[in-house]
Amino acid sequence: MSASPLQPDQTKRSLGGWLRAQLGQSRGLGELAIESLIRLCGYSAILFVFGIFFFVFREGAPMLFGGLNLAEFFGSTDWNPVGDPPRYGILALLAGTMSVTILSMAIAVPLGLGAAIYVSEFSSPRLKEFLKITIEMLAAIPSIVWGFIAYMMLNPLIIEWTGAPIGLNVLNAGIILALMSVPVIVSVGEDALKAVPDSYREAALALGAGRWEVVYRVLFPAAKSGLLAAVLLGVGRAIGETMAVLMATGHATQVPHSLLDRTQTLTATIAAELGETVQGDDHYRVLFVIGILLFVIAFAVNLTADLVVKGVRGKQNV
Amino acid sequence: MSSGKMSNGGLKTPKADPAPRRMPSATPPAKTNGAPAPSAERAHASYRYFLCPASKSSAPNGAGGDASLERPASSLTEVVAAIGRCHGGAEPSVKRLAGYDRIEICATSLPGVAPTAGRKPRYAFVVDPLGTSDGRGVGSDHAPWPDVDTALAGIRKLSEQGALTLAPGEHLRLSVREVFSATPVDRRKRLKERVAQTIFLAMTVALVVPLVVILTHLVAKAWPVLTPSFVFENPKNNMTAGGVWAPLIGTFYLVFISLAVAAPIGILAGVYLNEYARDNWFTRIVNLAVVNLAGVPSIVHALFGVGAFVMFAGMGESVLAASCTLAVMTLPVIISSTKEALASVPMSFREACWNMGASRWQTIRTIVLPNSISGILTGVILQVSRAAGETAPILFTGAAYFVNVPNKGLGYFFPYALDKSCMALSYHLHVVLTQVKGASPAQIAAGTGIPLEQLQYGTAVVLIGLVLAVNSVSIGLRMYLRSHKKW
Repeated sequence: MSASPLQPDQTKRSLGGWLRAQLGQSRGLGELAIESLIRLCGYSAILFVFGIFFFVFREGAPMLFGGLNLAEFFGSTDWNPVGDPPRYGILALLAGTMSVTILSMAIAVPLGLGAAIYVSEFSSPRLKEFLKITIEMLAAIPSIVWGFIAYMMLNPLIIEWTGAPIGLNVLNAGIILALMSVPVIVSVGEDALKAVPDSYREAALALGAGRWEVVYRVLFPAAKSGLLAAVLLGVGRAIGETMAVLMATGHATQVPHSLLDRTQTLTATIAAELGETVQGDDHYRVLFVIGILLFVIAFAVNLTADLVVKGVRGKQNV
Repeated sequence: MSSGKMSNGGLKTPKADPAPRRMPSATPPAKTNGAPAPSAERAHASYRYFLCPASKSSAPNGAGGDASLERPASSLTEVVAAIGRCHGGAEPSVKRLAGYDRIEICATSLPGVAPTAGRKPRYAFVVDPLGTSDGRGVGSDHAPWPDVDTALAGIRKLSEQGALTLAPGEHLRLSVREVFSATPVDRRKRLKERVAQTIFLAMTVALVVPLVVILTHLVAKAWPVLTPSFVFENPKNNMTAGGVWAPLIGTFYLVFISLAVAAPIGILAGVYLNEYARDNWFTRIVNLAVVNLAGVPSIVHALFGVGAFVMFAGMGESVLAASCTLAVMTLPVIISSTKEALASVPMSFREACWNMGASRWQTIRTIVLPNSISGILTGVILQVSRAAGETAPILFTGAAYFVNVPNKGLGYFFPYALDKSCMALSYHLHVVLTQVKGASPAQIAAGTGIPLEQLQYGTAVVLIGLVLAVNSVSIGLRMYLRSHKKW
């Protein structure tokens, strides 16, 4: 490392002087290179998001702008891509995704937020550590194993409990998805609660509030946006999940009318049918169009979650 | 005794009191004072004694009653004596009174019929063990009696003076007030607290229980097949026998290559976002992109892999294409965990280094990265488990149904070419679950086949064991770090 002090006037005078200064200083060309590399990597996230959209769009576009009847695509429940003529109506698939997601959220949101509150506000430090590890483990279970659990464990249980002829249905997928998205809700929700300054809690406790009153009257309003973001991320996870729902929903293209009806989701359709298509044919491209739709939905959900957090944080700063 | 002079005229027929009553007779009062009971608060009084001026004739043996509802006392003196027996003295014979307990003396018109509770007492007296009125107490709020015995003596004296007259339906209340004891409001609040806590605990347990049940069930079902040979043998006989070695190695391939791609990019991107990026709109967009990349459904990653790596880059369905797809998928989490780890290095470390004349990159290289490397590693290891478990992204980019691999030699450890597809544990589980027929009974009997269910459970347990083991390493590292924090 050179000990000579940086001479500002020299660095600005000319390109040669600037280069000499750069090389004379410890900040050599190598460092310039590594900094450029770091910047490049930093921008890579944007690159990949656009890349994903671009490449999925590239495969789906010929169908999206030619041949695909969008009114039928969104308005018909008739999904029969191998028929003659083929039918590409995703309404039933959308209904399947919606029903499974809504059921899973009905289970996961109360459980997840309750557990987040317990972990953050009620448990002792030791128990907290244990619970966080447990929830992390729950999050680590791969989706194919969840599918396995749905297929091998929950399926016979549901048949036994409800008397349904087959246990792979909306109920099964809802339960599995709930267990899969709960860890997200718990960890993001707990972060949101942790982000509430302790002075809020102390002020409430000093006024004589109990811990439940602190949660209900102080933390809920204060961490509202973070908790909402937690729920949204859980929704995102549930919508995007593939392998588990592929095995748990029973795979039948129909609008489910009860919890015990079989159904099929957007994601599972792609996973199940892409392998059967010929690259470049209509069916293949329609599956990519569904991919675009999923990408847009996920983007919207994540963007909303992000804005919800940022928006409220901005307001608090004022 | 003045009570004898009371008339019963003008009294409404007393209604039966729905609240539980406690009789101070032969059996001790039911109330235990340790835990707050909501029903006790609704009953207004902890103990009730009854007075029925007209009961002399109805008393079974001529003597007055014991002041229970069925055998009310005939005079206030008798009630006071009964109270004294139950609560008085240095060692209370039946029940010690604690904070906010109340004794009520109720006048009733008929034995066995309690007057309506909840009306304001005709007389209210206070006992305060910590009161400062010494012997001069008169039972009022401002000058309470110091103990129950003094209170009873005071009541007796007042009644002898004719100052206490209770008409049927009226009552006299003696409250014990301890300054620091829980008020009914406190008790209700504490109960609410406990109920809330129990509900939240139940919700948490509802998450822990499935994990435990699932894991034990999986291991129990797979137990017969869980031998070293199951892990170290390749699948054979149309996947009806053998083990999971080839898929396991395939998963190692995918994880290793995907991390070799994603970790450098992810870590450098984290460095950029935490160390270089200014707080402007562009950085916000980069951060947003990271968040959104993390939220992209795994099947969309698969489509991206097909479009970009398999088709566009011409890799075909190969280890390389699958690894790159997994790399893009794991990237955002590596970025954000790196960012977090870097942010936990105190600013003063950097400032000290800058003051020594070091440049930005020198500071990062010598100060920031060494101090956060374990935190970064935690995030990267966590992604190992994620990449190992993912199925959807490799489904169409490089996972094979079956690959015939060598059973010995170097090929046993490195069976796959990078430009060919490979088996992977997660996809293998999907295959044995949905497509494999399973061994015939004859094969099982001959020892050349594994029952299908055992094969399925065994594969699931190896996969989940791998994932959880890697995860435990990450968690252990994090806990070690936290306990050895230098700042």
